[in-house]
Amino acid sequence: MKDNLKLSSKLKSWLELYNLLIKTSVRSRMQYRFNFLLGSVLAALIQISEFLMVAIVLYKFGAIQGWSMYEMGYLFSVMTLSKTLYRTFADEVHHLEKYLVEGDLDQILTRPVPVLLAIMPRNFRIMLGEVLQGGFILGWSLHGLWRSGQIDWMSIAFTLFIIVTGAVILFSIGLATATIGFWTTRIGELQTFTEDAARTAGQYPLTLYPKWMSSMLLIVIPVGFVNYVPALYIIRGELGVWVLAAVAVVAMICLGASLRFWRFGITKYQSTGS
Amino acid sequence: MLYFTLAAKAYSRNLQYRGAHMVHNLASAMFGFIYASIWIGLGRDNPLGAYGTHGMISYICFTQSLLWITSFISNGLGIPQAVRTGQISLDLMRPIHLFSHMAAREWGQIAYQLVYKSIPIYILYLIIFPLQFPKSGSVIALVAISVVGAAYISICMNYLIGITALWTTESSWFYWANHALVNLLAGFFIPLEWLPSWLSQLAWYSPYPYLLYVPTRIYLGYEHGSHIWGTLLWCAFLTLICLLATRVLRHKVEVQGG
Repeated sequence: MKDNLKLSSKLKSWLELYNLLIKTSVRSRMQYRFNFLLGSVLAALIQISEFLMVAIVLYKFGAIQGWSMYEMGYLFSVMTLSKTLYRTFADEVHHLEKYLVEGDLDQILTRPVPVLLAIMPRNFRIMLGEVLQGGFILGWSLHGLWRSGQIDWMSIAFTLFIIVTGAVILFSIGLATATIGFWTTRIGELQTFTEDAARTAGQYPLTLYPKWMSSMLLIVIPVGFVNYVPALYIIRGELGVWVLAAVAVVAMICLGASLRFWRFGITKYQSTGS
Repeated sequence: MLYFTLAAKAYSRNLQYRGAHMVHNLASAMFGFIYASIWIGLGRDNPLGAYGTHGMISYICFTQSLLWITSFISNGLGIPQAVRTGQISLDLMRPIHLFSHMAAREWGQIAYQLVYKSIPIYILYLIIFPLQFPKSGSVIALVAISVVGAAYISICMNYLIGITALWTTESSWFYWANHALVNLLAGFFIPLEWLPSWLSQLAWYSPYPYLLYVPTRIYLGYEHGSHIWGTLLWCAFLTLICLLATRVLRHKVEVQGG
């Protein structure tokens, strides 16, 4: 009972701290308001070029294996928004290498809070460009799908839900990758593979890939559950509503497993010192 | 000789990391694999014009390998970094022209990326996919000229992007914009003739098609040498711009820190 109380007060003070950090972060970015806004708009435009190149091909050839332009846009934007959500709150997990190489983790280990809670608030990232890009493509796709009668209001609620579960899955993948750094110290190359390449593959329907690769993207690096699997139900009406529950379960399993792995990994941490 | 030493140093500096780069190549090859898979998917329902599915796979594999020589080179040739640290003032004092100095260094980097990135990645694709090859020695010579020209065009463009750092702290935007334009206008994923006509017309007014599209078309035998003139023209024109820009820059050095 007493422990519980202590824990909840700890959590409360951590949340307050996090809140304060977010406010400071927003305020510091707003010191250069024009620069920040222009930069964000440019980032959005630049990132749209990646989708644009696929959209142009779809526009010219019609569907890819039965997936229309709007459906592809849906997959693409859900992935972008899930990644944005993950990186907004947990960018430092992606940059753990910095702590490992420079030995900064030693200092953090001495703090009376769990390591993850100590590093995550260090950098609250405002990714307005990604939000604009993902939001624009998602809005455009949903509009198109609505007009063809593929979705209704419920689908939009479901979409918001899978963006959150997707962020949890991507966070878990990122955390598991970062944990490997406790053994290898350098993780940049591995991250390109498990985070960037896997996520890029997940932006497109998994049916495009050979069996071994689509299985890998569902089981080993489960990016398929971020957008592809739930989209089968939400925009294509395949499978059933149980898919969403299954996706939530998968997200929870990923999170649990990666946290457990992280806790194990951290016991193997050896400082690089300096 | 000096230029050769500069290039050789840049080359050997990278050798330290070749193990890590080899692992990275697997991830890089994944991207090409993803793009090729999209075209294979499209090819099941469409004839894919003059290329066919086989041709498009060959197209993607060659452009994806070529990227590391003609597009993914050092951000602004490292000049923005030099401006931030103040190193640029020393570089400008040297009895060697800034442009040829930076270019020589980058040639070493490009040579490294050819040996340790482009070629291994292409070999990986060769193992996975059946690919199309040039049919004669003269084609290979033309490919070589257009690739070297493309690498040089890319060096010039990155030089121009790099020196904007003397005027603005946001020069990385130009770098990213350049990336976006490579995606769309260089034939990175879509052959230019399939772009909306206004966009492909626009592309041909820029040096972008010469970075990836032209060398790849020549390599795959869809094009004869006439585009080489375009490559050479852009090389000459951009050299001139770079030299002029350096002249302006010499009056504008303002370092940000030390």
